[in-house]
Amino acid sequence: MLIEMRDIERVYHLGRSEDVHALRGVSFGVERGEWVAIVGQSGSGKSTLMNIVGCLDTPTAGHYLLNGRDVAQLSDDDLSDIRNREIGFVFQTFQLLPRESALNNVELPLVYRGVKARERRQRAKAALRQVGLGDRMRHLPTELSGGQRQRVAVARALVSEPSLLLADEPTGNLDSATGEEIMRLFEQLHRQGHTLCLVTHEPRLAARCPRAIRLRDGCIVADGPGREVAFADLPDAARAAAPVTAPQDNAPRSAATRCP
Amino acid sequence: MSLRVDLYEGARIAVLSLGLNRLRTLLTTLGIGIGVATLLCILGIVQGLNASFATQLSALGSSTLWVSKFPWVITGDKWWIYRNRKDFTLDDVQAIREQSRFAAAVAPEIGRGGSVSYGDRGLSRVRIIGSTGDYLTVSGFEIQSGRAITDADSEYRKNVVVIGADLVDTLFPHSDPIGAVIRLRDLPFEVVGTLVRRGKFLGESQDTSVIIPFRTFIADYGKRRGFEIGVAVENTDLLNQAEDELIGIIRRSRGTPPEAESDFEVNRSEQLAKTYQQLTAALYGVAIGVGGITLLVGGFGIMNIMLVSVRERTREIGVRRALGARRRTVIVQFLLEAVAVAAVGGAIGTIVGLAGAKLVASITPLAAAVDPSTVLFGVGFSSLVGLLFGIWPAARAAALDPVESLRWE
Ligand SMILES: Nc1ncnc2c1ncn2[C@@H]1O[C@H](COP(=O)(O)OP(=O)(O)OP(=O)(O)O)[C@@H](O)[C@H]1O
Ligand SMILES: [Mg+2]
Repeated sequence: MLIEMRDIERVYHLGRSEDVHALRGVSFGVERGEWVAIVGQSGSGKSTLMNIVGCLDTPTAGHYLLNGRDVAQLSDDDLSDIRNREIGFVFQTFQLLPRESALNNVELPLVYRGVKARERRQRAKAALRQVGLGDRMRHLPTELSGGQRQRVAVARALVSEPSLLLADEPTGNLDSATGEEIMRLFEQLHRQGHTLCLVTHEPRLAARCPRAIRLRDGCIVADGPGREVAFADLPDAARAAAPVTAPQDNAPRSAATRCP
Repeated sequence: MSLRVDLYEGARIAVLSLGLNRLRTLLTTLGIGIGVATLLCILGIVQGLNASFATQLSALGSSTLWVSKFPWVITGDKWWIYRNRKDFTLDDVQAIREQSRFAAAVAPEIGRGGSVSYGDRGLSRVRIIGSTGDYLTVSGFEIQSGRAITDADSEYRKNVVVIGADLVDTLFPHSDPIGAVIRLRDLPFEVVGTLVRRGKFLGESQDTSVIIPFRTFIADYGKRRGFEIGVAVENTDLLNQAEDELIGIIRRSRGTPPEAESDFEVNRSEQLAKTYQQLTAALYGVAIGVGGITLLVGGFGIMNIMLVSVRERTREIGVRRALGARRRTVIVQFLLEAVAVAAVGGAIGTIVGLAGAKLVASITPLAAAVDPSTVLFGVGFSSLVGLLFGIWPAARAAALDPVESLRWE
C-alpha cells in the first residue's frame, strides 16, 4: 500500500472558539499504480486532503502511512526530501515563481535534488515539450496565459518523475482540447505505473479514472469506480445549486466534528 | 541536498533579486555604505598620518638623544620649573665628546625664528639654527649641493649659511644659490650649501630652516639663549646604555651632587612616537565608534529590508519548500541575499571612503593613504554585518509553514 490514511482529521483553529473541521475522520488506502479522482463540492476538504497526502501538511489526528512509514515520525528534512523525490504536486493555483522563467520554474525540483545543470536543463525542456510549451520556455509566468501557466505547473510536477503525482484541478483553466491533452498525459503516466491523485470538479473527467473518492464536508461519502462515483452525486449538486437549501451546506459542518 | 547546491542556488537567487530591486537595494545599502565610508576615510587619514610621521621620525634620527632642559612631552604645569633650570654650556658638549663611548656625533643646537631676504625676494618665519660640524649626523639633514657648516666656521664665527629647500625655491627660482649673499634678520650671510627636501610633517614644511655656525649665532643673536645637545648613537640597540652614560657625564659636568635629581632631560624620538600613538589611538577610537554606530544602523536597515523581503516572498518560500527545499536551503538563500546587499553597500562605501580620503588629502595638509587590506576590511566587514543581521529574517523565513505560505496573498 503506497498511501494509507487512518481516521485523518484536520482542524483549523480560527480565533478563540471558531474551529473549522476541514477533514473529520477520513480513512482510505491507495495502492501503487492506482489512479484516483477526488471529487466533491467546493470547500469539502479536497485541497486539505491533498496537502496531507503530499506531506506538506500534517493531520491534527489520525495516522498517515506513506510507503509504510508513519509520516508523523519523519523529520522536517525527511519530509522535504520526500516532497522532492517522491511527490509531484500540481497546485490548484499553479504556484509558479513569478520572477523565474518557465524553464527555471520547471527545473526547480531538480535543483533541490542536486541534479547537474546540463541534465536539469535537458529534462526541464523535455517536460515542457511534453505539455506543448516547447516555444515558451523563456517566458515569465506573467507572460503566459492561464492555461499555459497550468501546463508549466504540470511540467514541473512531472519533471522529477515522481512515483506519486498529486494534481489539484490541473485542467480547471484549460479549454477542453488542452485539458484533454493533459488527461492523455495522465493516462500515459498511469500506464507507465505512476500513482496519480486527481482533484477535479468535472464529473466527465472523474468518470475516466479507474477509481474515485467523493468528499462531502470533510467526510468520504463514496469510494468506488470513477464511472459510478462521478455522477452519483449529481442530484446533490443540483440541490446545492438551489437557493433554498444552499445555506444548509454550511450548517452541519460546525455541528458535527466527526463523520457519521 | 548538499550545502554546495544550497550555496550555489542561494547565490543565484540573491543576484537575481538584487537585480530586480535595484533602487531598494541601493537605498538599503546606503546605511552600511556610509558606515564603511566613514571608517575608511578616518582610517585612511590616520594611516596617512602614520606614514608621514614614520618618515619624519626616521628623519629626526631615531638614534639621536636630545639633551635639553625641557622634556619633549610636558605634562602638568611644570614648565616654569624646567625653564629655570641651568643652561648648558659648551663645556658640557665637550665633556660628552671626550667621555662618551657610545656617541658617534655630538652637536649643540640653538634656534630662533626670523625672516630672510635676497634682493627683493623674502621669506618670513624661517627657523634659524646655530650648530657645529656634527649637526647633519645628529639631525638627519642631508646636503643637496655645496657643503655643510664646519667646526671651523663656528670657531671663526663666519657668516655662512646652509639653506633649506623652500628657501632655494623662493629666493633662487632661477639662479644658483651657492655663493650668493642673503640677509638673515638683516645680517649678511653667504650661502655655502643647500639641504635635501624633507617634505611636510603634520602640515608644516620641514624645509624652511637655515643652518649657521653656532658661535656666529651666539654672537649675532644673543648669548642668553639656552641650547640643546644632540647626541647621535651609533648602535640603536645601545640607546639605553648610551642614555645612562650620558646622564652620568652631564651630571658630572654640571656638578650635580650625587643625591640630587638630574636637572635636565634626555629626549628621544620614541617619546614623540608614544605621544603620537596615544593621539592616533583616540582617533581610531572615534573612527570605530562612529563607523560602528553607522554600521549598526546599516545592519538594522538590512534586517528591515530582509524582513520585508521575506514577507513579500512568503509564497515563493512556500513553493520552494513544497518542491523540496529544506529549511537550511531557505536560510542559506536569505543569508546570502543579506550578505550580497551588505557587500554591495560595503563596496560602494569603500569607493566613497577612498575618494573621501583622497579629497581630504588634496584639500587639507593632512596626508591620507589607504593600504589594500583596508579595502578588504571594508567589504569583508560589511558582509559580516549583513550575515549577522540576516540571521533573524532568514530564520523566520525558514520557520514558515509551507501550506500557510502557499495560501499567502
Ligand atoms: N488555512 C485555513 N484556515 C482556515 N480554514 C481553512 C484553511 N484551509 C482550508 N480551510 C477550510 O477548510 C475547508 C476545506 O477547504 P479546502 O481548501 O480543502 O476545500 P476544497 O475542497 O479544496 O475546495 P475547492 O474545490 O474550492 O478548492 C474549507 O471550509 C476552508 O474554509
Ligand atoms: Mg481546493
